Amino acid sequence: MAKITGPAGSCTLLLGNEAIARGALEGGVGVASAYPGTPSTEIVEALFEALDEVELYVEWSVNEKVAFEVAYAAAICGVRSLTAMKHVGLNVASDPLMTSAYTGVEEGFLIVSADDPSMWSSQNEQDNRYYGLHAFIPVFEPASPMEAKDMAKTGLEFSSKWKHPVILRTTTRVSHTRGPVIFGELPKPRLKGLFKRDVERWNVIYARKLREEMLKRWSMIVEDVNNIEFNVFEDVDSEDLIIASGLAYSYVKDALKILNKTGETSILKIATTIPIPRKLIVKALSKSSKVLVVEELEPIVEGEIKKIAFEEKLNIEVQGKNLIPQIGELTLENVVNAIVKFKGYSYKLPETLPKPTISIPPRPPTLCPGCPHRASFFALRKAVAISKIKPVYCGDIGCYGLGTFPPFEMQDTLIEMGGSIGLANGFAHTEIEKTPIAIIGDSTFFHTGIPALINAVYNRAPILVIVLDNKITAMTGGQPTPETGSYATGEKAPVVVIENIAKASGVEYVETVDPYNIQESVEAIHNALKYVRNTGKVALIVMRRKCALDISSLATRRGIQKPLYKVFMDKCKACKICYDLFSCPAILEQQDGKALINPTLCMGCGVCANICPYNAIVKVTEEKDEWLKLWW
Amino acid sequence: MSLNIVIAGVGGQGLLTFASILASAVLRRNIKVLVAETHGLSQRGGSVRVHVRIGDVDAPLVPRRLADAIVALELIEAIRSIEYANKNTVIVANKQIRRPPLPGVKAPSIDEVLNMFREFKLKNYIVDAEEIALKAGSSLSTNMVMLGALLKTGVLSKLLDIQDVEEVIKSMGGPWIEVNLRALRKGYEAI
Repeated sequence: MAKITGPAGSCTLLLGNEAIARGALEGGVGVASAYPGTPSTEIVEALFEALDEVELYVEWSVNEKVAFEVAYAAAICGVRSLTAMKHVGLNVASDPLMTSAYTGVEEGFLIVSADDPSMWSSQNEQDNRYYGLHAFIPVFEPASPMEAKDMAKTGLEFSSKWKHPVILRTTTRVSHTRGPVIFGELPKPRLKGLFKRDVERWNVIYARKLREEMLKRWSMIVEDVNNIEFNVFEDVDSEDLIIASGLAYSYVKDALKILNKTGETSILKIATTIPIPRKLIVKALSKSSKVLVVEELEPIVEGEIKKIAFEEKLNIEVQGKNLIPQIGELTLENVVNAIVKFKGYSYKLPETLPKPTISIPPRPPTLCPGCPHRASFFALRKAVAISKIKPVYCGDIGCYGLGTFPPFEMQDTLIEMGGSIGLANGFAHTEIEKTPIAIIGDSTFFHTGIPALINAVYNRAPILVIVLDNKITAMTGGQPTPETGSYATGEKAPVVVIENIAKASGVEYVETVDPYNIQESVEAIHNALKYVRNTGKVALIVMRRKCALDISSLATRRGIQKPLYKVFMDKCKACKICYDLFSCPAILEQQDGKALINPTLCMGCGVCANICPYNAIVKVTEEKDEWLKLWW
Repeated sequence: MSLNIVIAGVGGQGLLTFASILASAVLRRNIKVLVAETHGLSQRGGSVRVHVRIGDVDAPLVPRRLADAIVALELIEAIRSIEYANKNTVIVANKQIRRPPLPGVKAPSIDEVLNMFREFKLKNYIVDAEEIALKAGSSLSTNMVMLGALLKTGVLSKLLDIQDVEEVIKSMGGPWIEVNLRALRKGYEAI
């Protein structure tokens, strides 16, 4: 049985994202679509896992905009739907988002935005509650996994009631926290609907009329959020008031416990940040003289509170971002400190230990043992050196972003999904001496790489595009891409071939290589660079090998043995190439500088044997055919 | 009442499984528990820290200096997480250093780290967990050895017994049940 399909009344330890998936099922969701992105991925993953027991349509879409549109159309047809994405994914989907409030929907449409304060796995820490203000879409903010489940359901119901989209906004600490979740009933969802033709509603030629209607609807939503039961005023008749939105509420509760001051200060818990529950706020503010607003990231609630206080002529001192950091996720220490200052409490944390005298080496995430990207970077660096060109390595979002760190340091720019080819276009027209090399993964290529490639052909940008194709969306845990050949359910899927897309886009130089074959790869890149220089046109190389992590788990499941490699110590000259320049985590440096392969970590890819100048690394067990087949 | 446990290690060492099994065992006793992970990219050999908060808790992250126990599956990661300790914190650590695979990086020795625990007068339990796991049947069960050791320290003794954890492991299914149960037991007996 899937984790999220348990009977009503049962209590299960669920990840916040899994809880959202369950809540969507309880809210009668019939269609769910997403593009994977941390910390949002597990929502749709959990729905896929549930497919044996519940009926709904689920898909991994090629990007967030399409995912949004798939779910949006379902809601237009009267089928409740969910789309989920990381915060920056909503930027990609922001075009339909902005207009979805104008048209509204026929049935519940829940847009989950998983924000990432502290940028654990993201390029920025934008606060997507602003999208609610910007697009006139209500934003619900849960404080825990349990509440995330309940709000997913309520969000769908609220959306159905007003025929208007709703954003469920989580942050990493809700999405990626496991906590107890009590299940409710699972209704039978509506899976199919009807599109009722209504040009003046679904066609923005009539946008002026739609905007008027939308603002009317919005004014009623502004009233109705006061009835949302997740907004709670915990009134203890104090002059001071703490207002906390979403997850911040959980931190405030625990901070007061640590301070042993529970019950001394009234708390207003805000769950519908946009639009803010004004009546409840006025009630709470009129009893207070001093307010502390606790929220993660930007002072959105704080701004609303100040506005309301001004409009209601309430003479109240409002504190917030002067005491709570604007950068990074909240911590209990931060909230304790803020409350101590706000209330004038005295509190001392236990004494700190002395600073460790040992220096702590950094440990950034690395490419896995056997990762084909490592071989690709190794070959690319060699080819660039042979070609005697100066490159701009235009990086992109994916595991290969780890090529930022030593020893490769081959991601000179890294901005956003698909940005590698896009920026390469601009560098090609402006940079005086360097050749732009765009490095992009297969999933990212499908996501937003294609339009930039067409642009490069059309506008004659001399660039080299390298597609690191591991046939999977690896960074987020291995979701299928249009090229994988199967769906997340394991069913067979059509295969969209990258080389065909490149050729159809007008790229005349398209090559495919196996990155494990270093010599061949170096040659291919070298020739492609020559072509770019001589013709001023685009060249594209697909470096194709399946994700080693994917193969590793597949091999374990099927009980397939990997070949073993060994370093022969008499031949090893301690040249450091395999562990320092190739930097495979399965190869360790010994005291004398010679290399040693850790058989547990080694994936048996054999690339180290390929690059060892002294032939000191040798395959000691032959691989079976089934092992070789796994990789293609 | 609340209990704060920080689990530190390297991506791929099974920290999340450790935390999920522990949390499920706690939940079986109808005690509230929250598990939060902090890391950049999962499974890519980077530093990983998992926070487990048990009891009357709402916020997912353990405050610095307020960990009741730090379980380290690797010793460099134990030092990296030492800011979560105070003088009463119990350390349970796997006797292992994994040098980060970066060119020219110098890793401290096992003795340097153990000396630091002593200098700081921290109550510490050092377990050769990978060795024990191999004897139990697989180095992949290193995390279960560490969980067994944690259960023996007494930090959790008011909340649950090793039997609770065994029940959770049994309920998980899969081919690894026996090895994991053996590893858990051996870890429990190791200190």
